[in-house]
Amino acid sequence: MLFLAMWTGDIMFENTYELIVFILNFIGIYDPIYNVFEMFGLEYLLRIIIVLAEIAALFVFILLTVMFLTWMERKVVAMVQARYGPMVTGPRGLLQPVMDGVKLIGKEDIIPAKADRWVFTLAPFLIFIPALLVFIPLPFGESLIISDLNVGLLYIIAISAISPIAILMAGWASNNKYSLMGAIRAVAQDISYTIPLALAAISVVLLTGSLSTVDIVTAQSGTWFGFIPKWFIFLQPLGFILFLIASIAEMGRIPFDFQESESELVAGFFTEYSGMKFAMFFLAEYAHLFSVSAIVVTLFLGGWSVPFLSSIPATFAVLIPIISLAAFVIKTYVIIFFAMWLRDTVPRMRIDQLLNIGWKIMIPLALLNLLATAILLTAGVF
Amino acid sequence: MTWISKDWAMGGIIKGLIVTLKHVFRVGNRPTVTVQYPYEKMPVHPRFRGLHAIDEDACIGCGICEVNCPNSTITIVKHNTRWYPQVNMGMCLFCGICVDVCPMNAMKMTGNYELADYSRESLIYGPDRLLFKKEVN
Ligand code: SF4
Ligand code: SF4
Repeated sequence: MLFLAMWTGDIMFENTYELIVFILNFIGIYDPIYNVFEMFGLEYLLRIIIVLAEIAALFVFILLTVMFLTWMERKVVAMVQARYGPMVTGPRGLLQPVMDGVKLIGKEDIIPAKADRWVFTLAPFLIFIPALLVFIPLPFGESLIISDLNVGLLYIIAISAISPIAILMAGWASNNKYSLMGAIRAVAQDISYTIPLALAAISVVLLTGSLSTVDIVTAQSGTWFGFIPKWFIFLQPLGFILFLIASIAEMGRIPFDFQESESELVAGFFTEYSGMKFAMFFLAEYAHLFSVSAIVVTLFLGGWSVPFLSSIPATFAVLIPIISLAAFVIKTYVIIFFAMWLRDTVPRMRIDQLLNIGWKIMIPLALLNLLATAILLTAGVF
Repeated sequence: MTWISKDWAMGGIIKGLIVTLKHVFRVGNRPTVTVQYPYEKMPVHPRFRGLHAIDEDACIGCGICEVNCPNSTITIVKHNTRWYPQVNMGMCLFCGICVDVCPMNAMKMTGNYELADYSRESLIYGPDRLLFKKEVN
């Protein structure tokens, strides 16, 4: 009965937990397992185990994505520069990230003599964990979401705000002038660009009236006049551009990579790190790239919604989670490709130019965008 | 009013983005120019100055190359009853003067540039590694 309902697309799941329970039920092993746990009065343990399995799957997905992204980054740079890029390890160098990981694990873990040992060790974890936590309220596909928080967007912005602290900790604890300079720059940059980022996001929230990422995505499904997808990029072109620029600045990628400007500050705030701790900074950087691109897609490019999905025959409704996941991943990779492409094209800005653009152009424009959205919304245009 | 004349549409960046995109998708004549080095080598120019080679029959052991070498790279050593130059590749600057001054045209330079080695001693190329015999035809 349930299966039939799923087949015709009548029931929707709120999050992945319910989807997993449904699948287990469908195979017919949920009840036996549940009974075993109930015998010991430990039903909550089953729930915890399922949630942990979800988190593990998310973790593996993110790590694989990050490994693929490092490879993709090198390939895109190589293509722009008329080179080959990694070619030897695996087919077209696809296993190169694995070898890099093995190399980094095998390296000596050096802590400088005058470093603040505790803070120095804590910083890589503090930057890595928020980079993963951001994914919790992100919908990867229809009902593929760990938890649909009703303050999802606020949660994402708040969690991303932890990373400047970790960067400052790393820079301060290294006891190295380059690290400290890089950390101070990174914090200045993050603080100035979070404001236009949040303001551009608020315009979207005005349109949907909800902070929940699922609501934002649902509001973007469907089309206008049958051919323009109802994505917020068409309602908020200025907001989209501001959000994109601000998020590239948040990621610290090339036109704005002051935290690790190689030609000025050796490697910025992680100059002193080696081995596994360096790998964590590296992973966090690419996890951040993926998460920020995913947020751009969720807010402005319709998230997992495929504009013409409703016209798909009902017999394929069971495939909706898979189709939506594919749509989400493709859109995210388009944004990631844009970030890499921009990185290969433009040189680094100067720090005063960065702050000028942030405070004198981006924030006024973001406020203007917010005002225009509010006026048009009150006038009932949207 | 300087802000009016500024390129607010960021035309320069967009132009650059288009150029790099053409490279990514290989639009027009934009091939990959590098080669997969250890497996595939670039052709070497005919007058490339690499490792030396000495014609075993032509060299008379006169020592003119030794005298003219700006880095004192060459020493004349005995090898099977005759005297031949020995070249310390760690000091050679590949100027080619030794080739130019040789009165017998015995000194040549080959296209071999893979000269990295594990010790300083193995960089000293004695006559046993430098001599070649011209085929008589
Ligand atoms: S290589 Fe030429 S210059 Fe040098 S010793 Fe032989 S003949 Fe003389
Ligand atoms: S190439 Fe120049 S430096 Fe090298 S052996 Fe000949 S003369 Fe000396």
